[in-house]
Amino acid sequence: MPVELEDLKAMWFDLKAQVDELAGERQQYLDFFEQSPEAYIVTDNLGTIEEVNGAAVDILQRRRRFLRGKPFAVLVALDQRSAFRERLSGLAAEGSWRTVLEALEMRTEVALTARRIGSGRGICWRLQASS
Amino acid sequence: MTTVGAVRELMLKRLETEAANSDAKRDLEMALEELDVMWEELQGQAALLVRENERYAEFFEFAPDAYLITDAGGRIREANQAALELLNTARDEVGGGSLSDYIVDADRVQFLTRTVGLLLGAAKPLAWTTGLQPRGRAAFTAHFSVRAIPLKKSGVSGLCWLIRAAD
Repeated sequence: MPVELEDLKAMWFDLKAQVDELAGERQQYLDFFEQSPEAYIVTDNLGTIEEVNGAAVDILQRRRRFLRGKPFAVLVALDQRSAFRERLSGLAAEGSWRTVLEALEMRTEVALTARRIGSGRGICWRLQASS
Repeated sequence: MTTVGAVRELMLKRLETEAANSDAKRDLEMALEELDVMWEELQGQAALLVRENERYAEFFEFAPDAYLITDAGGRIREANQAALELLNTARDEVGGGSLSDYIVDADRVQFLTRTVGLLLGAAKPLAWTTGLQPRGRAAFTAHFSVRAIPLKKSGVSGLCWLIRAAD
């Protein structure tokens, strides 16, 4: 085999191994986030929804497609919305408060816990429906 | 942009100088072109995975709950910020240590027995309450919830622990 082909083969296998390792890592993260029994949402700093896990979709009663890119505030009941916005804009590293979500005229009281992502890229939220 | 491109150029040059028959030459050129496309695809896949993993890693790190990932034997592989705060420990201290090191003496045997039981059981989350012993702080009661999770790289089954201080 020409030496160039040997080089190509080696490079290919290196990159393939790298992709396989990254895919393994991704699987762990997906399992961690998606399969979690806790309801999590990731937003940017302004509260625009980036990711929603399965448990959060169940609480929010809306399709994931609808949720991505929407401001978190639109899920909050109208009478709670301005309070929610105030808490969000005043959020330090962490915060917890209660609010009411509204979907299809159904109100759900939830406890929110928010933690800022260290790099300043957004906020991780946990939702707990009070039963 | 890629060294693959450079290798390809070399091979094309070689094709020019060595008088191969024209059919073989065309075949080789086509194969090289295909290889180029496949290489670009694989590179794109790698770049996408890197970006996605960075985002998920951030979420794990700054999740509003304390999470630890251990191997099947309870050895700590990863701990997020909230977990380090709860255990009152530093990242370089926690890595490679055992989760049972942070369980109060009186509960440790039971904790280890349950962990072994988990490995023989199902993937559904299991929960129990036990005494947690942070570094240099008073022990307190904590809720543990655990489920199976594939470990990075190997993909073998590990454990994902969610720990919360009991009210």
